[in-house]
Amino acid sequence: MTHDTGSDEMLEAAARAYARGLPELPAALDDRVMAVVRGRPVPAVPRPRHMPNVWRWLVEPKQVRPAFAVPLAAAAALALFFVARQTAPRAASAPAVAAALPADTIYVRFELAAPAARNVALAGSFNSWGEQSIVLARGVGGTWSVTVALPVGEHRYQFVVDGERWVSDPTAHAQVADGFGVTNSVIVVSPRGVVRS
Amino acid sequence: MPVHEADRVEAADGAVVRRVLGGDVEAYRILVERYRRQFGRYAVSLLGDADLAADAVQEAFIRAFDSLGSCREPDRFGAWFYRILTNQCHTVRTRSGARRDTVPVEDAGLTSRERADAGLEQGELAARLEAALDQLTPEQREAFVLKYVDERSYEEMAALLDVSADALKMRVHRAREALRAIMGAAR
Amino acid sequence: MILLVRILSGFAVAWLLAMVVSAPAPLLAQAAAVHTQLAARGLPADLTVAVESLAARAGAQGLPWEPLADKAIEGWAKHVPAARIVAAVRVFAGRMGEGRSAVRGAGVAEPDAALIRAAAEALGSGLAQPEIGAVVRAAPRLALAAPALTVAAALRAQGFSSEQAVAVVAESMRGGRTMTQLLDIPQAARAMQLQGMPPGEIGRRILRAPPHGTIMPGVPGMPPGGMLPGGMPPGGMPPPLPRQPIQPPIMLNPMP
Repeated sequence: MTHDTGSDEMLEAAARAYARGLPELPAALDDRVMAVVRGRPVPAVPRPRHMPNVWRWLVEPKQVRPAFAVPLAAAAALALFFVARQTAPRAASAPAVAAALPADTIYVRFELAAPAARNVALAGSFNSWGEQSIVLARGVGGTWSVTVALPVGEHRYQFVVDGERWVSDPTAHAQVADGFGVTNSVIVVSPRGVVRS
Repeated sequence: MPVHEADRVEAADGAVVRRVLGGDVEAYRILVERYRRQFGRYAVSLLGDADLAADAVQEAFIRAFDSLGSCREPDRFGAWFYRILTNQCHTVRTRSGARRDTVPVEDAGLTSRERADAGLEQGELAARLEAALDQLTPEQREAFVLKYVDERSYEEMAALLDVSADALKMRVHRAREALRAIMGAAR
Repeated sequence: MILLVRILSGFAVAWLLAMVVSAPAPLLAQAAAVHTQLAARGLPADLTVAVESLAARAGAQGLPWEPLADKAIEGWAKHVPAARIVAAVRVFAGRMGEGRSAVRGAGVAEPDAALIRAAAEALGSGLAQPEIGAVVRAAPRLALAAPALTVAAALRAQGFSSEQAVAVVAESMRGGRTMTQLLDIPQAARAMQLQGMPPGEIGRRILRAPPHGTIMPGVPGMPPGGMLPGGMPPGGMPPPLPRQPIQPPIMLNPMP
């Protein structure tokens, strides 16, 4: 294949001229993006719909309202049915998905029942105690929630209700003194995830 | 709130993504600045208009933020964002109609926009290239722009597009052949 | 009176300057870093100066400064009065020193920042220096020492006695538990507490769990936290996710 060096040179000259004519986008664009993004909820991660609810029912049987007991029992029975039919190769494919994410980041869901609140935020060691940087979304029945990606290890936090009341998380693993006369909620995130009770 | 110098120099994409997901929304600016600089001109090239490109880039950053939790490989945020941006540019292009209604290459010099480099011959050449690029397939155009306009190495391009360097070399080769044919025929 | 205050504050500033000027380069960089962090969060100048001086002193002793800056930021976010913040930072700095002594006494010559911090938090939860030493000595690998202290502190905070907290963690490590299994302990203990189990029983169950299984009563290992969504951007088809098997609520067969 012969190359026409003349037209090669022309092409490259054209590309350079063309490139020179392409403007950079202005830095003000960054400001516009940030202005919009600040008003959005912190990006959430699709939460798993299987494990946690069944799990919670298991570990706190007294707290399950009778209305939920039967459908959940049915779901558990169904789950048993499914697992009994699972073959080993299925389980082997799960680690491949797990490997795609950095191993030390776990998605953790935070919830607070606060029907009378106007807004609820989460402040903790993982976001430098920023009072409004993680905002919870209000759900059915006045339960607020958010899912956050956290590294493995211990985290201390509190909910901030209506911008002024700092409230502990009753489902946290422990409550510790914060050194200022109040308590912090503590969760210890394991590589296997977080189980709430 | 200004971004710390230390953040600007050191924070890798993966670390920043994790910070944002952890609630530090302001840190997203690091990614916005970084990739506006990296892909801005590419977007202008795809759309032929700096204002349209700014809109597309802005929209792409907002979409990327909203679905940041779905970014499977935070360390490769750039490649993930690049695809979002390309999709968005495509959307904007089709939304605004065929931007250049197949302007004949011979006439392109007469309708060229102002260029920073005012040389008439240069401007004309650039305009002809711009029109010719429009007639390439999307992959060829993308490969040619990344290689000759952004001046990226094949390794960089492979990382960005998730395509082998060899396949990219072939695309660039075909793009050059096509461009030579289009622009040569116009002489 | 005002003159006296002015002179005193002038001395404070001069002293700080003298410390800064006479400090070696890394400490100067550190002082700048503390200042930047605190100022970025809006802490007022006098509070920042006080915290910086505590951080500088800690740094000069080879202790990490980040936990002190974090504490100050936490206090400021919680609208705690400045004097109280300074007091809390001073207390934590002291705990870091004591914690480091405890860890050194257990045979770790140069504990890293994470270990020092974990030891300080453990002291704050009510564990004493000898107990911290016991936990560290029971760790088969240095990497387990900090998480072990974190878990022991969490157990203490949950209401276990120091002896119980130390025993559970130390025995778990001696029994060959991995870091993951250690980190599972606080949540498992909490779940069992809510079921009404007494601490002794909880401790026994935790230690009785099979080496590669989970410690939750009667349940095999949990799946990794969170379903991992596909990474396709909007406008692209998400790839089909491999399905995670749903774990049964009771153990059918022991996992291998």
